[in-house]
This record gives sequence, structure tokens and C-alpha cells, in this order.
Amino acid sequence: MIIIVVLIGCILGAIIGMNSPIIPYTYSGYLAIGIMAALDTVFGGIKSIIQKNFDMKVFVSGFFINSITAMFLTYLGSKLNVDVHLAAIVVFVGRIFTDMAIIRRHYIEKWSERKTIAKATAIIKANDKKE
Amino acid sequence: MNKTKIGLILGSVCLILTCAIVMQIRTINQNITVSDLGVVSDELRDEVLKWKEKYDNSYKELEKAEKELEEERTEATKNDETSKTKEEELKKGNAVLGLTDVTGEGIIITLKDNPTVTTETIGALDDISKYIIHQEDLLNLMNELKNAGAEAISINDQRIIPSTAIICSGNITQVNGEKVGAPFIIKAIGKPDELKEALERPGGIIDLLNSYGIVTDIKTSNNLTVLKYDGVIQHKYMKEIK
Repeated sequence: MIIIVVLIGCILGAIIGMNSPIIPYTYSGYLAIGIMAALDTVFGGIKSIIQKNFDMKVFVSGFFINSITAMFLTYLGSKLNVDVHLAAIVVFVGRIFTDMAIIRRHYIEKWSERKTIAKATAIIKANDKKE
Repeated sequence: MNKTKIGLILGSVCLILTCAIVMQIRTINQNITVSDLGVVSDELRDEVLKWKEKYDNSYKELEKAEKELEEERTEATKNDETSKTKEEELKKGNAVLGLTDVTGEGIIITLKDNPTVTTETIGALDDISKYIIHQEDLLNLMNELKNAGAEAISINDQRIIPSTAIICSGNITQVNGEKVGAPFIIKAIGKPDELKEALERPGGIIDLLNSYGIVTDIKTSNNLTVLKYDGVIQHKYMKEIK
């Protein structure tokens, strides 16, 4: 059920995005940073679901506050002539990779576990038949 | 927290995220010229080269056709005294207008930007434009040469004709709409001594340029060729009075 809602959200979002007016190129850098922050939060959310310490409040607040902070820092950086957005990108993308690694490991472990169990049961069954 | 609430929140989060991503992609696509400047400029360069090739080919054809026309004309006017004089007049007119290559004695002036000033040696407060040759300098030089009786002038093989404009376009100069840059080689046909004196007189143009450190060099020549104007002289608005 949740997956369906998520899919509907994605499709609706794409449709709204297609029909919305485009933003000026000057501000697209801020939006890009916001997107990276949001993606980071989403991956963090998936990771916490796997680790079974998912908290909706943490997730939603992280989603918005991370994005806004990232945009604000980028703005500040452009005013101070420091490329803060590079630091933000490095942090976000680095975190996305670590989260992805954890998720990947989790599913690989699950899969290999299932395989060994299947093998074991097959051997047991074969032994049963022999007897 | 129940499941519908979680679903709603996750759904709205995804909605915002995809909406933002799609908007961003559309913005970037709209401004492809800004983000993909390198690729676009490569394409433009290719285009320019193609056009230049086409132009060169057409120019060769034009030259051939002009030669044929010339031959036809001499053929036609061979036996007719009045058309012969007319032909002579036409040739003279073309030479004065700058439509034929001309030769004669004159001077060659070479102008180079100040060589002692480089990006390392220039101070923060120095004005770089003091050390380079400007379109005003060229205009003054043209004026001085014409005043001294120069009959045909060219800057980097761009013939100066009545409709020639010498304009500043950023860090280069345009003559006849063609880009020319330093070093400038200016050829002028006229009486060499007079031309030289007019330029080199105390307080004259060469003095002024030298004070900025611009390297000037004047050579006299007995056999100087000034090339013709490449373009076509057009007139749309002026009409003859009958």
C-alpha cells in the first residue's frame, strides 16, 4: 500500500513539475542543492527502515530542514565568495554512498541467507528420502 | 502512527522531490547554452569553418568571373576609340575606389603593442589600454596619411575605401567588418618622403604612439602593392541627379 502511494506521489510530482513554470537559471543551483539534500534524507530514511530505527518525525524534519539549510548555506557561500555548495555536494553524495552500501549489504546478506537455508533444507530432504 | 498517515507523508515527500527534480531538469534543458558552452562553441567553430570554406570557393569563382569579364571588355573595346577611353576611365575609377590591386611607391608602417608590458609586469593600478593600439590611433593615422596625399591605403591587407569603417570591437579592431589585430601593417601608396614626414613630425602621431611604448617602424618602398577591396560596394538609397 505504501509503495502504491509513493508511486502515485512520484507520478503526480512529475506531472506538476512538467506543467510548472521553470525557475530562473540563477536559482537552479539552489534547487539542485536542495534536491541533493532531499535525496540524502530519503536514502537515510531507507537505511533507518532497514536498521529498524525509523522515525517519521526525524525523517520529515530532516527532509525539509536539510534542504533549506543547504540552500541557505549555498546562498551565504555565494555572498562570501566561497564555494560552499561543493562541500554540501561532497557531504550529501558521500552519505548517499554509505547509506547505499549499508542497504546493499543488508539485502545481499538476506539473499545469501535464504540461499543457504534452501540448500540446507534440500540436503535434509534428500537425507530423509534416503532413509 | 498508523499506516495511512505514513503513506501520505511519504507520498507527499516523493511528490515534492520528483516535482523539484523535473523542474530542475527542465530549467537546465532550457539553459543548455549556458551549461554546455564547450560543446556549443565547438559546434559553432565547425559551422564557421564550413562557411569560410564556402566563402573561399565562391570568392575564387568570383575572381575567375571578373577576369573573364575583363577579357570580354577588352575584346569588345578593341576596335572602338570611344569605348576605349571609357574603358580607361572605368579602370581609373576602380583603382581610385579600391576595386583593383594597385602598385607604386609608398611606405609600410608596422605598429606593435607595447612589448615591455606583460601580465606579470603590469601593476594593479596600471591601465592596460594605455599600452595597446586603439581604433582611434588607426583613424588618426589614416587621417594623417590622407592629408599627406596617400592614394591607396590598407591595414593588414584590408583596403581603405570611402565606406570603410574602423571600429573597436572588444579586444580587436574591425576594418571593413573584418577582424584585424596587432601587429598592424599599414601600406600607403603616395610620395614616400611626404608621407613619412607627415607622420614623424615632432608632436605627430608617431611621437604620440611612441610615448605609450608602442613599437613603430616605417619603411619606404619603391614597389608596393596594395590589395583591392574584397567586398561589394552597395548603394540602395542614393540616386543620381539627372
